[in-house]
Amino acid sequence: MKLREYEAKNLLKAAGIPVPAGFLIRSADELTPRLGELGTAFVLKAQVDVGGRGKAGGILMADTATGVKVAKELFAKQIKGLPVKEVLAEQKLDIEHEYYLSITVDRSSKQPLILFTEAGGIEIEITAHEHPELIRKVAANPLMRDLPPFMIRELLGKAPKEIGPVINKLYQVFIGKDAILAEINPLVTTPNGVFAADAKIIVDDNALGRQGITVNRDLSEREREAEKHGFSYVELDGKIGVIGNGAGLTMATLDLIEFYGGKAANFLDVGGGAESERVMNAVRLVASVPSVKVIVVNLLGGITKCDEVAKGIIAAGISQKVIVRLAGTNEAEGRRLLSEKSYEMLDTMDLVVKKAVEVTA
Amino acid sequence: MIYGDKNTGVLVQGATGKQGEFHIGLMNAYARQVGGKGVVAGVTPGKGGQQVHGVPVFNTVKEAMKEFDIGAAVIFVPAGAAADAIMEEANAGIRTIVCITEHIPVQDTMKAIAYSRMEDACVIGPNCPGLLSPGEVKMGIMPSALFSHGNVGVISRSGTLTYEVVDELTRAGIGQSTVVGIGGDPVIGQTFVDVLEQFGQDPQTKAVVLIGEVGGNLEEEGATSTDLPIVSYIAGISAPPDKRMGHAGAIVEGGEGDARSKIARLKKHGVPVASRVSEIPEMVRELFRHQC
Repeated sequence: MKLREYEAKNLLKAAGIPVPAGFLIRSADELTPRLGELGTAFVLKAQVDVGGRGKAGGILMADTATGVKVAKELFAKQIKGLPVKEVLAEQKLDIEHEYYLSITVDRSSKQPLILFTEAGGIEIEITAHEHPELIRKVAANPLMRDLPPFMIRELLGKAPKEIGPVINKLYQVFIGKDAILAEINPLVTTPNGVFAADAKIIVDDNALGRQGITVNRDLSEREREAEKHGFSYVELDGKIGVIGNGAGLTMATLDLIEFYGGKAANFLDVGGGAESERVMNAVRLVASVPSVKVIVVNLLGGITKCDEVAKGIIAAGISQKVIVRLAGTNEAEGRRLLSEKSYEMLDTMDLVVKKAVEVTA
Repeated sequence: MIYGDKNTGVLVQGATGKQGEFHIGLMNAYARQVGGKGVVAGVTPGKGGQQVHGVPVFNTVKEAMKEFDIGAAVIFVPAGAAADAIMEEANAGIRTIVCITEHIPVQDTMKAIAYSRMEDACVIGPNCPGLLSPGEVKMGIMPSALFSHGNVGVISRSGTLTYEVVDELTRAGIGQSTVVGIGGDPVIGQTFVDVLEQFGQDPQTKAVVLIGEVGGNLEEEGATSTDLPIVSYIAGISAPPDKRMGHAGAIVEGGEGDARSKIARLKKHGVPVASRVSEIPEMVRELFRHQC
């Protein structure tokens, strides 16, 4: 789950990384009594869960005279379709240079990968694409508690030495907070020292519990509902509902829909050993999406019992058409139950998908 | 076959749990069918002295190792304890460690894999269905009825999609040497490169089916590391960016690892890529016609 800027900065601050002075407001009125705290000129930054917020008008300059008016303006905005509910008011920094620092999980080396470049700021993606040689990279053995000084020297090159401690402290945050990404962009030098001017931290969804995070904000309401049932669920924008078991098989079913010229309404992985109640919940969940015209059920496996699946589909009692492909234990009984209620059951995933695309065409 | 054979004694960590018990039963049914050793010991801390399907349970891996000749381990413990289980097995001297458990925090996985490397152990998974060499050994949860003995290796990041491919191959009369599910997480022990290296040394394996999905670029890394003829399939061509498609590893991050560019890169290296699973058997036949 992606943390908001102020949440990420609180973690950095607690780890000893300097962040600009600032506070969070939930309305423009909350700014009035605190106007003098940040000096004459300051920055107002919308705390919304989307990227590219600066270019979308989510960061505004203000001063003590205009502050409340600018804050009202920002709270009235929609940033990429999202309402502004929280604003971070921050001291304006006297920036000398912008650097980029991040730590990610590297699939290839199976270790945390630390990236640093002198060419920080909003153009970092262009730099990464056009001048990858400017970005220095070091992979760290995750069994080490601290980065050894030589790694920090390798990363820094000729950049100011005072950045070194920030790199090691960000590594501590990355490890300690179960991050899959910890990024400071820009990391700035000022006459008053180094500051994390912006911060982005994504926490591993598999570690939310032990990090004390109870609600995954990255999920939509229906996705959260699905999670309660133990399903992996992603909303898409087509007409064909999809229920599969296993992430790969479900993805392949979606791809096959595209291959035959259709569009899937969702991805739903019902998980292993699906019994009738789980299947019923899955079918009802997908059927509750208004755009769904037909549902493809594609279940395969050794431990999935086809009669249980058939009972679940029948018990769901939905109005949309359901087309089923089942392979596994008790296949004949499942087929009998479904055909009794005149559900359509076909032998291969190609056949069910083709049929669903025909129905929605 | 790779990673083990009939004579490999297998240990199950998390033997007394629901999953562990169920799959010890199935693994040993397969072992009886092929005349293999199968699961010889189980481990659950605090449950030493019990038996599961006649298999003795020990408190620690080292205790089990004193009594039995063990070459591989399969882990079914919950996510919070799985990294610890991997390290216990590596420390005890087990060289092939299959971790079925899903939802392990990636920091734990990275540490367990780094530690296993120091102990010279191979980790398969986590979040994987394990492996099966038809006629030899099953370590994990794959449904053995779909498999047949032959000379095509299969490597996959997925579970049920692997069964689908194996089913298609078997129906087409194409048998398998070893089928390895390497796992759906962003960080896994054995990657395509490692398993392909094993297949490269296996005289039985003449061609490999490589089943990848969105996220990362390890498929390409693997496909370019071997001389074995390969047929590939990449799931997730319709996956939207920044959405996690079930597997923690199946996510297109910042334009990296999307299926279309992955497929294009594989094709550029001369690797045939199937656009549907059902095309795979014919493409494997084609490989044999031209290259084998």
